[in-house]
Amino acid sequence: MLPATQGQAGAEDFEFDAMACPCVLHLAGDDDEAARTHRAVAAQAAIAEVRRIEAKYSRYRADSVVSHINATAGTGKRVAVDEETAQLLNYAHRLYCDSDGLFDISSGVLRRAWDFRNPALPDKHHLESLLSCVGWSSVKWDGDSVGLPRTGMELDFGGFGKEYAADRAAALLIERGVVHGYVNLGGDIRVLGPRPDGSPWRLGVQHPRNAGSLLAELPLSGGALATSGDYERYFELDGQRYCHVLNPRTGFPVRYWQSVSVAAPLCSAAGALCTIAMLYESQGLEFLARQGEAFLAVDHVGRLHRQDITELCT
Amino acid sequence: MAAIENGSVTSSSRRADRSLLAAALLLPGVLPLAQQAHAEAAPEQAVVAAKVLDYQDRQPGLERTHVQAPAVYLLLPIRGEWSLEASLVQDSVSGASPRYHTSISSASRQTERRSAGDVKLTHYAARQSWYAGAAVSDEHDFHSRALSGGASFSSEDNNRTLNLGAAFTEDRIGATGDPTLDARRRTMQVMGGVTQNVSPRDIVQGSLTLSRGTGFYDDPYKFPDHRPDQRNQLVAAARWNHHVESHGATLRSGYRYYADSFGIRAHTVDAEWVQPVGSRWRITPGVRYYTQQAARFYVDPVYDAVLGEPFPPGWTPGTISSPDQRLSAFGALSASLKLDVTLDAAWAMDLKLERYEQRADWRLGGKGSPGLAPFSARWVQLGVSYRF
Repeated sequence: MLPATQGQAGAEDFEFDAMACPCVLHLAGDDDEAARTHRAVAAQAAIAEVRRIEAKYSRYRADSVVSHINATAGTGKRVAVDEETAQLLNYAHRLYCDSDGLFDISSGVLRRAWDFRNPALPDKHHLESLLSCVGWSSVKWDGDSVGLPRTGMELDFGGFGKEYAADRAAALLIERGVVHGYVNLGGDIRVLGPRPDGSPWRLGVQHPRNAGSLLAELPLSGGALATSGDYERYFELDGQRYCHVLNPRTGFPVRYWQSVSVAAPLCSAAGALCTIAMLYESQGLEFLARQGEAFLAVDHVGRLHRQDITELCT
Repeated sequence: MAAIENGSVTSSSRRADRSLLAAALLLPGVLPLAQQAHAEAAPEQAVVAAKVLDYQDRQPGLERTHVQAPAVYLLLPIRGEWSLEASLVQDSVSGASPRYHTSISSASRQTERRSAGDVKLTHYAARQSWYAGAAVSDEHDFHSRALSGGASFSSEDNNRTLNLGAAFTEDRIGATGDPTLDARRRTMQVMGGVTQNVSPRDIVQGSLTLSRGTGFYDDPYKFPDHRPDQRNQLVAAARWNHHVESHGATLRSGYRYYADSFGIRAHTVDAEWVQPVGSRWRITPGVRYYTQQAARFYVDPVYDAVLGEPFPPGWTPGTISSPDQRLSAFGALSASLKLDVTLDAAWAMDLKLERYEQRADWRLGGKGSPGLAPFSARWVQLGVSYRF
């Protein structure tokens, strides 16, 4: 017989770039030829799924669903959307409602006011005109079709698209029998299952102020881990840090948290929770406690806050 | 506001509603449709693979056996809980196969064809699998039939797997040029093994195989060659696979002890380094050392003073003796290199090169059998597989 022995463990990293991030699928299991090939085949399918979502919801592609929606801005027209897009818009609506309007997928236009390579505050009038284009509550969404009422309005799925892709890729891998490993899309991680020996993966959380070091190492056997922070894109001006997480009401960067990490069963939930906690600023802790998922957060003076984070090893 | 003590939220203050998680769970395709419940997962894709082996061995001044063996392999998953595997191989063996001591170089050349095939049906259940198989091998002077069965059980945490198996083989032996030879031998084999994950990076495996065979063991192409009509064999093997995180590689190593009632005792140590290069390539260099003590009835190329060659000293009809070089005392080293590439979702290829060198004086802890020429062999194997 050609297949090799059973019971040996092997693992591979499948690295790729997607959604402007370095991504990796770490897949483990038996070390025989059939199992390795099976993982490689499953990995190709998972990568294809990530790329499908990227292409479908990229605002940089003229043929994407998001570009079609954004083209309706101010025209009075609506675009009928497919089932998947409808469910994502429903989720976005739910995030908006549960965050008192802080998580708003129409707030992406505010990016135009901020150039994080150039430490300067935006022009007040420019920012005000952009703020007038923000507001999910004014978006015409009836469950089947969507339209943007004001010229200049844009929807941006960047706030949860990557996390959604991580969940989809993970589900696809598990369905194909790859049950050991994790999907890491630019730091948004969904775990497929424990290491082949049953022990958890040790996932590092980036320290928000020391780029080369870890804040913590979390043992995860399942579920997802996402982190939002003020340290990826920012500038400092007059001793104040201005990061890329923008409050949709003021158009200004949030200030309270250096970093928020959330562990939850789904990456889509973990990612949204840490972003919303960042947006809630000083009330973020209360929000996280209410949601009940495990978290690890560092506030503006470097104090650590956590909930259930040692209970992750399940 | 949740109570905050020493920078952490006390769990008593929590009123978890998990509403966002509930909303996220409504997203399409974020949860697997059916989580895999089998520890030993049934294959989900069919595989067709083809391999071509080219083997050539030689001794000084003589190119001996040349084998070309194309093989096909098929794996067919059936309804998620079963798999059917089948393979077919056709060997074309040409060369000076029947040989006495290497000091005699008068072997006639001949070409043989061997056809062999096997099928194996496996049933997968939660943390266990069961299989039954059958195999046939046919040459014009040798026919073999085998039946096998076994099971594999995994512990609750999947850290330990127990493998049990048994096989029964019946061989019929004839000889070119001797139509009267129609001999048989039967072999019963049992095997048990345990695989244990000892750390996230280490797996150890131990196995014991016992077999008992009765019947005709003589080599019909050698004269005089007469061997006991019973052979009991024991193989004890240990393997250790260690993942080297710093290199993303795996070191596989093993030791094997072999003993049989012919008096042969052999030790094998081997190691290979499995190095992934990028996400598509893997390169695996390997080395192996083998040493054996001769069968107690192996005779050196020293001949009877009266009868002369090829009779060993004191030979009489019925004497248990054999000049078969494979039963002599020797040591051997082999080195191999394997390249694997995954071309795309469906196609994969591999190429394996191996070189084998055997010398009497490479035997460990004692002298090898005298008067034998060095023996070397090389293998080239090319394989391609397709999944669908």
